[in-house]
Amino acid sequence: MNMIEFRNVSKIYENDTAALKDINLVIKKGEFVFLVGPSGSGKSTFIKLLIKEISATSGTIFIAGRNVCNLKSSRIPQLRRNIGCIFQDYKLLSDRTVFENIAFALEVIGKPNYIIKAQVPQVLKLVGLYNRMDSYPHQLSGGEQQRVCIARAFANRPPILLADEPTGNLDPATSEGIMKLLSRINIIGTTVVMATHERSIVNAMRKRVVELEQGLIIRDQKRGVYGS
Amino acid sequence: MSLIFRPKHIFGETFLSLKRNFLMGFTAITTVAITLFIVGVFSIIVYDVQGVLNSIEGQVEIAVYLKDNISNDLKGYLENEIKGWSEVDSVTYVSKDQALEKFKTQNEGSDILKEIQGNPLPASFEIRLKDPQKVEQIALRFVDKDGKSIDGVDEVIYGKSYIRNLFSITAVTGTITLLIIIILLLATMVLIYNTIRLSIYARRKEIEVMKLVGATNWYVRTPFLFEGFFEGFMGAGIAVLLLYFLNKFLFIKGETAIAETMHIKNLAILGSNNIILIAYFGIIVIGGLIGIFSSGIALRRYLKV
Ligand SMILES: Nc1ncnc2c1ncn2[C@@H]1O[C@H](COP(=O)(O)OP(=O)(O)O)[C@@H](O)[C@H]1O
Ligand SMILES: [Mg+2]
Repeated sequence: MNMIEFRNVSKIYENDTAALKDINLVIKKGEFVFLVGPSGSGKSTFIKLLIKEISATSGTIFIAGRNVCNLKSSRIPQLRRNIGCIFQDYKLLSDRTVFENIAFALEVIGKPNYIIKAQVPQVLKLVGLYNRMDSYPHQLSGGEQQRVCIARAFANRPPILLADEPTGNLDPATSEGIMKLLSRINIIGTTVVMATHERSIVNAMRKRVVELEQGLIIRDQKRGVYGS
Repeated sequence: MSLIFRPKHIFGETFLSLKRNFLMGFTAITTVAITLFIVGVFSIIVYDVQGVLNSIEGQVEIAVYLKDNISNDLKGYLENEIKGWSEVDSVTYVSKDQALEKFKTQNEGSDILKEIQGNPLPASFEIRLKDPQKVEQIALRFVDKDGKSIDGVDEVIYGKSYIRNLFSITAVTGTITLLIIIILLLATMVLIYNTIRLSIYARRKEIEVMKLVGATNWYVRTPFLFEGFFEGFMGAGIAVLLLYFLNKFLFIKGETAIAETMHIKNLAILGSNNIILIAYFGIIVIGGLIGIFSSGIALRRYLKV
């Protein structure tokens, strides 16, 4: 089953920057895909199009077979509930504990309290932070903060997880832990798309690699490495 | 679903916001209170002044005194003529006898009655007008070019231009007050708009996360709308409270005096129409609506969803 499909997708920003040019790409359910390329090659644009933070200038994007380009704005929340998203800067709320940060994400999509109470500890166990649930973000290391971010993105068990340079601020050892976690999430059936420009991480994983350069796909390799 | 109405979500956020931005919220609420208090005072005064004016208007009339030797023909001709004028509401003929009778009842027990011999009082037409502002214009029809009364008419008596002045003074004061109220309402809206803008700014990170994980637009908006509503509502509540005490200790005394001297029944507070309750209710509704409206504009501007 095609989880994500780009058909002739282009994105030109208001200032005439062509960030993506005529992209065609299919990502199947359960795949793990690296999106690589130098800074400015269009990786973040690709991810923002998927969560409809921005709209494509032309072309069509399908997610789970549904055309999301003509989605009404009132339907966007439903789309986002099915896509977890993690970032280089974690985007955690500093005045809330780890537990509260994750609970918040479930609360705002209308999950009842009893489900929140059950799901949050469960996902914290998954990311290995069960015993830190009462800590505040500033009391955690960068790696731990990224795990909270992953827990929040995955708490609602979305079928897709997008990661935009999730290891950008982490040292190699910590990054390795994060990659193991993403692998585990992928193995239980989640489609994972990860944008990165870190060679060692891509090379260690031997997953599908899609390489972008100035908005064009210049390589799509089954069990690839960073740069051939 | 419980998506829209989550009391903790809505009330909690409003309370937090007010705490965070106490001075801004306080200023907004105070301005709403002052504005709506003025609206209330103005409404009550306008209502009562209108009542007094209506009562004066009802009393405005032109008395056309006739010569004793007027012929029945001329009298009948005049009466028909006056009735034909479109400005005239009613014409009543008062004969010499009726005039004397009226004079006697008005001056009962007075020494003046003993001095009256025969009937010195003239017969008259009492004319009521549809529009009291035309009084001078109509009265002048009984006077010829040289300023002398026309045939058969002895004298024309009418309330002169003071009535017209009364009307124009109230109109001017009304317009000025209305302008002040409009300016104050705009100031109120700007202040609420600003507090909401700051609230959105203070919560921009939460809003970002909410949108990211798929909170609905309404879920994100509702607390801000409620915050605006709350500020308008609180201000209106204070205004109503102030107005209540003003009425209780001042206005009601004025109205009692007016009611006793002028026999006017339909006044804002004393009247039986519950005007004052409608005013209180209206102020609360206006307050709430202004709050929601101002906040809505701020959301359109600063919260792209
Ligand atoms: N909001 C924007 N407005 C204008 N240009 C943008 C915007 N976002 C990104 N760009 C441009 O689009 C190109 C691709 O950016 P991006 O997708 O962020 O690349 P990457 O994530 O691979 O670094 C860059 O040239 C960047 O300057
Ligand atoms: Mg990027």
